[in-house]
Amino acid sequence: MNPRLQAALEAGRKGGCPGIAPYLTAGDGGLGRTLAALHAIEKAGAVCVELGLPFSDPLADGPVLQAAAERSLEGGMTPTGTLDLIQRYRQEGGQMAVLLFSYTNPLFVGLGGLRASAERLATVGGDGFVVPDLPPELAGELQDACEELDLGTVFFATPRSSPARIRAAAEASSGFLYCVGRVGVTGQRTHFDAEVLRWLDQVRDLAGSTPMAVGFGVATPGDITALAGHTDLAISGSALVQHLHRTKGTDQDGAQAAFDFVAALCGAQPD
Amino acid sequence: MSTFQLPTHFGRFGGCYAPETLMPALLELEAAYIEATGDGAFEQELQRLRRDFAGRATPLFHARRLSQEWGLDLWIKREDLLHTGAHKLNNALGQALLAKRMGKTRILAETGAGQHGVASATVCALLGLECVVYMGEVDMQRQRPNVERMHLLGARVEPVKSGQRTLKDAVNEALRAWVSDPDAHYLLGSALGPHPFPTMVAAFHQVIGDEAKQQFQAQGDGSLPDLAVACVGGGSNAIGLFRAFVPHDSVTLVGVEAGGRGSEPGEHAARWLGGQEGVLHGCRTLVLADEHGQIQGTHSISAGLDYPAVGPEHAHLADIGRARYETAMDDEALEGFAALARLEGVLPALESSHALGWLMSHREEWRGKQVVLGLSGRGDKDLDTVLPLLGGQA
Repeated sequence: MNPRLQAALEAGRKGGCPGIAPYLTAGDGGLGRTLAALHAIEKAGAVCVELGLPFSDPLADGPVLQAAAERSLEGGMTPTGTLDLIQRYRQEGGQMAVLLFSYTNPLFVGLGGLRASAERLATVGGDGFVVPDLPPELAGELQDACEELDLGTVFFATPRSSPARIRAAAEASSGFLYCVGRVGVTGQRTHFDAEVLRWLDQVRDLAGSTPMAVGFGVATPGDITALAGHTDLAISGSALVQHLHRTKGTDQDGAQAAFDFVAALCGAQPD
Repeated sequence: MSTFQLPTHFGRFGGCYAPETLMPALLELEAAYIEATGDGAFEQELQRLRRDFAGRATPLFHARRLSQEWGLDLWIKREDLLHTGAHKLNNALGQALLAKRMGKTRILAETGAGQHGVASATVCALLGLECVVYMGEVDMQRQRPNVERMHLLGARVEPVKSGQRTLKDAVNEALRAWVSDPDAHYLLGSALGPHPFPTMVAAFHQVIGDEAKQQFQAQGDGSLPDLAVACVGGGSNAIGLFRAFVPHDSVTLVGVEAGGRGSEPGEHAARWLGGQEGVLHGCRTLVLADEHGQIQGTHSISAGLDYPAVGPEHAHLADIGRARYETAMDDEALEGFAALARLEGVLPALESSHALGWLMSHREEWRGKQVVLGLSGRGDKDLDTVLPLLGGQA
């Protein structure tokens, strides 16, 4: 497995609570703000980041991440610009695992195809892909390229996915299996109740040795506490993106807000 | 069930580029579709409704005055005479019957021109299903009569305020709504989107070409036309017409897309002019996108053609050289509209007017030839657009 992803997952398993893997939309509030936020969340204890490449038609996303992508695109962010951002983060000493979160079309058209996207991501120091509209059935080219380049792949499981699909998604995931805690788009709250946790434990059985992350609706330290023992990583996206957007001021003000938000999640303790 | 049973691609186009949150619903839909089409009772009920409710078969009308004017032999497949005034009802009936059979109680639909929204609202009223139609705010303004029609039929129209606020954004919003509402059926209105929609929607429209072919052969000596032509937005009426003729190489197939106001990005919806291979709304096809893969804005005088991608089967037919895709500009479409109105007493939809406008411009190429033209809908819904532009000529 990709060494930085492996380190992230090991760090995630160490504490009682899952490792924190925040999502940020690249270029929301400007390139400098995202870069400062990346360093800040690392300092706060995040083990991995999903960096969202903004797309004009993000059909799995709710209003918060749609608006973030729109702002970022209006600010001139591009697929290449997103890769440059990862490169700068690495050049400035950033150590967190970085997953590129992108819809298929910007990879196809903007970065020259799935294989070319993987090669370019590896070159800038990225660690893997999350492509929400690319199911395992159609991901062969990306999987092959990622295997050769030691990048992680991530596929999804939802409460409505059949056991056979969850097994197949886990097998296809060389990074981790992304478990969506509820039906719906990003940005709505999920109540991590007994039913969700029971489902996660079923997924754990189906996923075999593939690590798990839980996302969609993870917003508070309470969510992290609830997820303790049920997943390796917890992904928090819309809540953090909205918090950052509402924080006015300099890049450093944004970075402080990102730090505080992620530090609170990282400070959660199991019950 | 973990994966699809039917072929998911047309050549390298199509597929199912859908989030996992949608996959269970798409798998369930494919399974139900396979099961229903294998059941004579489903087919029988669909036939009954097509005949007694929708008014099939629609006529193949010999447009004699226009034929004389243009120097060719023009036969018009009159989907404008179908109940609700457009071909869209073929698909809406098929999918709604299927949804009912699946035990669904709520239908989600998107609409551009409003024709598919009206067709969906109509079949929901007929079958006792709840109906929610997603429609871009821009389209709601330019297709006001259809919004009112949907309301009268008991549907709820949800204004879509994201993106360009047209058909593309309505599809996004309907797909998002479906993710959150898995007990509903998403009645996608064109032969595009993730598998199984392109396959299923085309199959429900295939009746257009099957009838046209049979009617054309019955009126003459059994020979086939030289040209079958239809407008292409998503491409459902064109694929419905083309499928019957695809195996017959002597029949040239031409799809006409919206050339809009010009060839600059954002001024047209001509995917073969400015598009590239990409992925939008769940399928790999030709897409109007910028160099970064961001979907571009489109323009067409007709809301139904104002869409940045095309059904994957059309992308494939063009790729293998079986069909040609050409453009008609806004003003050519208006000329086609006027010609059919004045010479044949039929007000065509602005979508269909693109096929007429293209034929008018290219009539020399088809001089003396037999042409079947798919008239996808009637033009009453477009009067607000057309009157300020053509009204002075009345």
